[in-house]
Amino acid sequence: MNMAGNMDDHADDGTRDETDGPMDRTTDNSGDLYDLDELLGAYALDAVDDDERRRVEDYLEVNPRAADEVQTHREVATMLAFTGMDAPDDLWGRISEEIGEQAPPPGPELAKVMSLADGRVERDQRRRRIMSVAPWIVSAAAAAVIAFVAVGLADQADAPNDPIAAALEVAQADRDSITTTLEADGSDASAEAVIDQDGHGFVVARGLPALPEDQTYQLWGVVDDQVISLGIFGPNPEIETFTVESEVSALAITIEQSPGVVSDGNPDGAYVGAF
Amino acid sequence: MDDVRREYTEASDAALVVSIGRYQQAALAEAYRRHAGAVFGLAKRLLNDHSRAEEIVQEVFVKLWNEPNRYDPERGTLRSFLLAHTHGRSVDLIRADAARRTREEKEARQQADGGYDLAHEVWDMALAGHVREAMETLQPGEREAIELAYFGGLTYKEAAAQLGEPEGTVKSRIRSGLKRLRAELVEAGVTVGSE
Repeated sequence: MNMAGNMDDHADDGTRDETDGPMDRTTDNSGDLYDLDELLGAYALDAVDDDERRRVEDYLEVNPRAADEVQTHREVATMLAFTGMDAPDDLWGRISEEIGEQAPPPGPELAKVMSLADGRVERDQRRRRIMSVAPWIVSAAAAAVIAFVAVGLADQADAPNDPIAAALEVAQADRDSITTTLEADGSDASAEAVIDQDGHGFVVARGLPALPEDQTYQLWGVVDDQVISLGIFGPNPEIETFTVESEVSALAITIEQSPGVVSDGNPDGAYVGAF
Repeated sequence: MDDVRREYTEASDAALVVSIGRYQQAALAEAYRRHAGAVFGLAKRLLNDHSRAEEIVQEVFVKLWNEPNRYDPERGTLRSFLLAHTHGRSVDLIRADAARRTREEKEARQQADGGYDLAHEVWDMALAGHVREAMETLQPGEREAIELAYFGGLTYKEAAAQLGEPEGTVKSRIRSGLKRLRAELVEAGVTVGSE
């Protein structure tokens, strides 16, 4: 894998002898390391031959500093490439036509680019259960102040390099998204939620107090007068994600014993917000 | 580019790529608006062939559409990512092209087409000035080595042969030159990458 993020196929298909570990050709002696370091600039400019490229890529796998250096060189090269010119006018039309033929219809699932390595979405979906109506959430939601914060969340998405924060930024910018603030009686803490038109939901929950390790925050949603579990956030939530397949009229976050409950959430201290 | 939705014009590149991953064609259109000129310019300068440069641009953006997860925003800017792919593919073509030895070395330059917004153009011109000044601070050997490697598509060994210098010297000059360029650009107040 090309550690510097080049999406070239030729950077990914580097084969090496199966008997070779990544370290075998990179740590034989200090001379080799010096040579590999000296190659980093040429590698960043694609100015090495295939054998050297494979050796450098092995080296980058075990040396984050070298990987960072390559990326820095590429950013400098990006500066060199500035030309002030525009692409031909008709080219976008051809690209649009090509992807229009290839693109599958938009689906409800988050794309892989979200990097949800922990499988949170899938886990939430497995945990989701249709539950009996919990009147405490419905009534609390009805009484809650409806707070649409169309732009208030934007300030919190201050890390565009974080894929989750970036996805949140997109949802916030979408005029068709719905938002609410989840608040609890007697508490100054709150969480903010946004659900986009495709049912991708985000809860900015880092304002909630940390819980003991044996407890967890749990998210619930009111759908057609039924309360369903939408996810387990753990004791120290930050920006959490969930998905919904139907219109949600309210959300609630409860405090449960870890690992959470299937039904009958704990109403004490629940944070509630209505859409 | 009339179909670019207004909300994407203010979105970060990382947010654009998330939307591209959700098949929002308008997000790809915005990424194209921001970066296609640089991609095309680099490909054309390397290949000195308008049609092949267009093919590279099309390939780069279609690949971004199909495989947005290959871009990791924590590893660098989207423009750097796209240009690295552009450069790699262009160099592949150059090295595979038996006729490349006959290709002209003239620098590809083209007037900006209509539609390139003025703010970007002015910014690019200012940046180009900084880059030009930074390049002038390099030792002549460093500048020649980088130009032959990056814009000539040569390996450092080929560049060394062309310059009549030892391979190790050219290899080191490319690295030291890039470091010096970065330092000069930072000194000039240019943000290099996502730092």
